[in-house]
Amino acid sequence: MKNNAIARKTSGVEKVLRLALYAVLLIMAFFYLMPLVIMLITSLKDAEEVRNGTLLSLPSYLHFDSWTKAWSGACTGSTCTGISPYFINSFKIVIPAVAISTLLGAINGYVISLWKFRGSDLFFAALLLGCFIPFQVVLLPMAQTLGWLGIASSTTGLVFVHVVYGVAFTTLFFRNFYQSIPGELVKAARLDGAGFFTIFYRIILPVSTPIIVVTVIWQFTQIWNDFLFGVAFSGFDSQPVTVALNNLVNTSFGGKEYNVDMAAAIIAALPTIIVYVFAGKYFVRGLTAGAVKG
Amino acid sequence: MASLTIDNVKKSYGKTEILKGINISIETGEFLILVGPSGCGKSTLMNSIAGLEDITEGRILIADKDVTYTSPKDRDIAMVFQSYALYPNMTVEQNISFGLEMRKVPKAERDVEIQRVAELLQISHLLDRKPAQLSGGQRQRVAMGRALARRPQLYLFDEPLSNLDAKLRVEMRTEIKKLHKKLGTTIVYVTHDQIEAMTLADRIAVMKDGEVQQLGTPQEIYDNPANLFVAGFMGSPAMNFIPAKVIDQNGTPVLELEANTTTAIPFPRPESLKNHIGKTVLLGLRPEMITEPQPHKEGQAFVTTTGVEVEVTEPMGADTMILTRINGAEINCRSNPSYLAEPGSVINMMFDTSKAVVFDPKTGERLDF
Amino acid sequence: MNTNATNSESKKTQLGRPARLSLADWMPKIVLAPTMLIAIVCIYGYMIWTAVLSFTGSRMLPSYKFVGWDQYERLFNNDRWMVALTNLGIFGSLFILICLFLGIMLAIFLDQKIRAEGALRTIYLYPMAISFIVTGTAWKWLLNPTNGIQKLMIDMGFENFKFDWLTDPHRVVYCLVIAAVWQASGFVMALFLAGLRGVDGDLIKAAHLDGASTFTTYRRIILPSLKPVFFSALVILSHIAIKSFDLVQALTNGGPGYSSDLPANFMYTYTFTRSQIGMGSASAMVMLGCILAILVPYLYSELRGGRNEK
Repeated sequence: MKNNAIARKTSGVEKVLRLALYAVLLIMAFFYLMPLVIMLITSLKDAEEVRNGTLLSLPSYLHFDSWTKAWSGACTGSTCTGISPYFINSFKIVIPAVAISTLLGAINGYVISLWKFRGSDLFFAALLLGCFIPFQVVLLPMAQTLGWLGIASSTTGLVFVHVVYGVAFTTLFFRNFYQSIPGELVKAARLDGAGFFTIFYRIILPVSTPIIVVTVIWQFTQIWNDFLFGVAFSGFDSQPVTVALNNLVNTSFGGKEYNVDMAAAIIAALPTIIVYVFAGKYFVRGLTAGAVKG
Repeated sequence: MASLTIDNVKKSYGKTEILKGINISIETGEFLILVGPSGCGKSTLMNSIAGLEDITEGRILIADKDVTYTSPKDRDIAMVFQSYALYPNMTVEQNISFGLEMRKVPKAERDVEIQRVAELLQISHLLDRKPAQLSGGQRQRVAMGRALARRPQLYLFDEPLSNLDAKLRVEMRTEIKKLHKKLGTTIVYVTHDQIEAMTLADRIAVMKDGEVQQLGTPQEIYDNPANLFVAGFMGSPAMNFIPAKVIDQNGTPVLELEANTTTAIPFPRPESLKNHIGKTVLLGLRPEMITEPQPHKEGQAFVTTTGVEVEVTEPMGADTMILTRINGAEINCRSNPSYLAEPGSVINMMFDTSKAVVFDPKTGERLDF
Repeated sequence: MNTNATNSESKKTQLGRPARLSLADWMPKIVLAPTMLIAIVCIYGYMIWTAVLSFTGSRMLPSYKFVGWDQYERLFNNDRWMVALTNLGIFGSLFILICLFLGIMLAIFLDQKIRAEGALRTIYLYPMAISFIVTGTAWKWLLNPTNGIQKLMIDMGFENFKFDWLTDPHRVVYCLVIAAVWQASGFVMALFLAGLRGVDGDLIKAAHLDGASTFTTYRRIILPSLKPVFFSALVILSHIAIKSFDLVQALTNGGPGYSSDLPANFMYTYTFTRSQIGMGSASAMVMLGCILAILVPYLYSELRGGRNEK
């Protein structure tokens, strides 16, 4: 409102400026949208059109062959299964990892905010550092540990790794959320005769829906998009989709099939884009909350 | 209902002592108020009674049973919190019944109990609402309802009225007093509002720095404060403290006041001042003891009339406060609004020292006990 | 006498602590224990483990023959590492500067009562939801000289248009910057927009009443009050830059040659494919050092600031 009030007073110059403003905003929107649009266009062309056309030339008609091929026929190395098995692998990793890390985070946050004990704050500070370390410093020891535990090169191993390094973030989220719950609520419930878990289950959890949504979305996006752990710890059969996509795109076998690459890339990005479109508000909240601090 | 004994309770965090040996014991059905400035330890003491905080030393007995190491839920205590601490996800009805449910009271009995409490507090029409849909006063009632439903041995109130506006606070104060009279419950009530303390309590414990400064009935505390702190804390406007020199008048120690003229005023317990002749003490005199000259009091013992210079007047409706200066200290006097007091003029005021007290200006202790 | 008796009695109960040593009192600690174990072992333990390895001569398998600072010496004499480090310098500073510039600009522009603000915001931010691998794949296609933007421009009639940074060892690092900015600048926009919306409206009214123009109000009043957001954004972006790994893998695979390697890729390559565990660990420790150098002052000031607020 403040700016409009001024804009109305001095119309001539302000009008031009405002036009320029919209122009810049639209150009930027084009910059952000272009890669996605081009990916989509390219994925719908056939090989011939890809080779002869330009980025922006539209396909003559919609070829969905590259999508089918990306899903179930494309070759990475010597196997030609498409990325579907890896897409499913990603879900096999993401679902348990998100569930476990969210649950752990919720109960950790509950303790750290509402059942403080000597040293719990220190512990939280130490855990917070876990949000920030470069994972390269844990890569090799973790690889050895997974070997000892017998879950190397399996989706179980990746679930374990994502829980271990996701729990710092989920704890941070829940802790910050529970910080705003008055401690008197827990005191009242204790005097009413409720125990640790009853209070959590009956009183705290029912008011936690917003933060659960934020955490689940955050964890889902993080784990789905992970590549480092996937490439370091997965076996051939347990690769997540990001690793499979990278292998597919960088495979040096035969001619480059850009349309198939693009279709595969869109497939790999689809789950997180869908989440973003339908729950963008929560995604942004997690992004800013997780990013800023404790 | 039960009695409560707090026996030499100490609590410290590391080196800081929050409670320095508290001894209080109250009878069944008694209404005790813990009052004091923030940080005096009253809330810590409250939490210790509830079992929400461990104590470092001492014992707590409820109904003559040692509960020092009993967990909160087994102490049979209910507490009303400043923020009410209503469970936000539950309706009023569920809030009230939660404690009963936790204690495995059958559903039918719970319903009866909810009805009883709801009627008692006139919240029957609110039972289906969530706390967020209630006004401050309604939340307050629900919080009390939740406490009452369990019929515990002991009620704790932790500044329950301080989140209400002034008018509601007075209403609820009366309500609580009526409930106490009707149900005969044992109550420990924390507040920093001395009017609440005066109006509600059977006995008041004035606390400061983790120690009980004085424990007594409201009137005892008002009339006979144990020290300067208690005297200054209770009463509004606060008691006047006038530095006054003790002089010998024909063998009787009296106090010298320098207002418009120098006046010697008598003190009801002169013998207690014998050792202080020539020294300055603090004379404590409540504002209502310095009034316009009242003919019916004329000539009584311990009544002195003298001229003072008016600095400011503050009409309060029923009374007018007159601010003046005696012996360098600012003094509040309570006069009838019809008494003419122009700022800057000198008027006669009547000093009634029959209830005056004196303190040591250094230690703040009472000198005339 | 009397007080003595009660004293010793209360001491006794204290030592006895009969009813309170119940399971319920231990519950919070028991519940926190798994995470504590994770933190101690998998964060701090592993960090120390890697630190230890960086002082050994480990190659294909971890060995525990200590060689002092040798691995670090070899590391900093390694041309590939120095390229990676230089790349990080160029990539990091450009990435951070451009992201901040674009992010702040877009946030301010969007704050001007723009029509369809919601839609624009959604468009600016969506890349943040996508994996760096997808981003890399997309930009690899766009920046590819034979089929990508270069060809598009030539076909449109700009015969001499040249945009082959992806295959130019000296310029390939700028391709990383473009793709990373595309992905993360919307995030900076979101951070600053939230900050702008949190500025006290009375402050802006006061500035206008004092006769400040919109531009002056932003420059003198609003942006300075967003200093904390600025520092958060700075820390997060540096963090992303230092950890960047997937984008390089997908976009350039470190190439041409190793001209677009970043430390994270160096570490991965040396540890897992070139069997130089000792040197790989040393490089990981250097990365950790970089992050701590940024993080510790930040967290310190954050914590101190937080305490002041209370």
